[in-house]
Amino acid sequence: MRNFLAFIRRFQVLLFFALLQGIALTIYFTFSVFPRSQYLTTASSISGSILSVRNDLTKHFNLSASNRKLQAENSLLRKELTQNQLTIDQTWELDSSKAKNDSTIQQFEYIGGMIINSTFNRVNNYFTLNIGKKQGVEAGMGVISDKGVVGVIHNSSEHFSVVKSCLTSNINMDIMIEYSGEPGLLKWNGKDARRGNMTGVSNDTEIKPWSKVVTRGGAKKFPRGIPVGKVAKTEVVEGQPLWDVTILYAENFRSVQYVYVIKNLLLNEQQELESQIPNDIEN
Amino acid sequence: MNTILSHGLRFGFFLLVQVLILNQIEIGVGTQLMIYPLFIALLPVEMNTFVSLSFAFTLGVSIDAMSNTYGLHTSSLLVFAYLKPIVYSAFAPRDGYDQVSETNIHEMGLSWFLRSFGLLLLIHHLWFFTLEMFKLNEILFVLQKTILSVIMSFIVCILLQYLFIRKPKET
Repeated sequence: MRNFLAFIRRFQVLLFFALLQGIALTIYFTFSVFPRSQYLTTASSISGSILSVRNDLTKHFNLSASNRKLQAENSLLRKELTQNQLTIDQTWELDSSKAKNDSTIQQFEYIGGMIINSTFNRVNNYFTLNIGKKQGVEAGMGVISDKGVVGVIHNSSEHFSVVKSCLTSNINMDIMIEYSGEPGLLKWNGKDARRGNMTGVSNDTEIKPWSKVVTRGGAKKFPRGIPVGKVAKTEVVEGQPLWDVTILYAENFRSVQYVYVIKNLLLNEQQELESQIPNDIEN
Repeated sequence: MNTILSHGLRFGFFLLVQVLILNQIEIGVGTQLMIYPLFIALLPVEMNTFVSLSFAFTLGVSIDAMSNTYGLHTSSLLVFAYLKPIVYSAFAPRDGYDQVSETNIHEMGLSWFLRSFGLLLLIHHLWFFTLEMFKLNEILFVLQKTILSVIMSFIVCILLQYLFIRKPKET
């Protein structure tokens, strides 16, 4: 016993250091995968409000560019309005005005928000949004901007939420090549904020350079076909029948300011149905 | 009392400057400015290591909470605070630290500061980037990031001291 006490006294500084270091490393390795609470992230109310004060000061710096972007998006959406389209088949139109209401239901809703804090030079970059649970943001929802995919909600508090952006090493988003439907997973190598990687693409098909890469819509977070980027380069993975595809992101994450959080209204229905698949079928 | 107040103010200063300004500056090729180790380096030499480790933990957690790094800064700052007494005693001046009121660049000189603070900062940055990448096959990229960031952070730390710490009067 005395030896033990002497040991503790001798190495007390080292033990204290090891204890604190252990806490820090535990937080690092568990929270970056699955955040257990909103404290220790920018979703907490204290850091969230400090960051939003900073954002209030700096958000007007690129006001004209943001306005231009919003206007471009508006004009694109205006084009889609039915009143601006000439109906060619009149009979179909007469019948379908009522039928259309019955045959389609809203699946995705978009909640507008603003990025108030972001980094780009880390290995895992998270963005903070000024919207939270009060606006209906939940962990796991997809986040897009007017140009393309931004990331997935990592966790959210009452008024703020943290986005795991496309600039994190384990983003693992379901994506595909648009023209061929070839599926793959989105990864990031931690180096270039304009480029990501698409893994798991089998190399028995040719991939045309500069073909569009879009979301696959499999993970219930995004609708199908939201742009991710374009194929910039394809390389063969050594020893495996796979392409390593480099993607040039559609969105420049350094300048993105206004984003939309995607709420899947049919999420529960789909999950309930999928949970009925028995997962113990072996043969 | 005066020292406690000034260190308390410094705590807030380093936290806010790091989180609100330096985290947003992107120089390129993964270079990152981290100046908060200077707070630990300027704590009094005779301070108990337990106390400085606690300070390191508090400052690290505050920075982590505001930059979504989940314990990375805490971990590397703890390494810095733990090694500080060891490195400082290895590079101690001939008369020890009794004559020195604070281990800043004016009191200790550039060459001492370069050796001791530079070494600690290098270890801090190396720990930070290794832990962040956590892949052995990216070791060259980690080293490149570390070396570039250490140089930039060190320059900023020296400039901060020339700007904010008054030079003691010659006697």
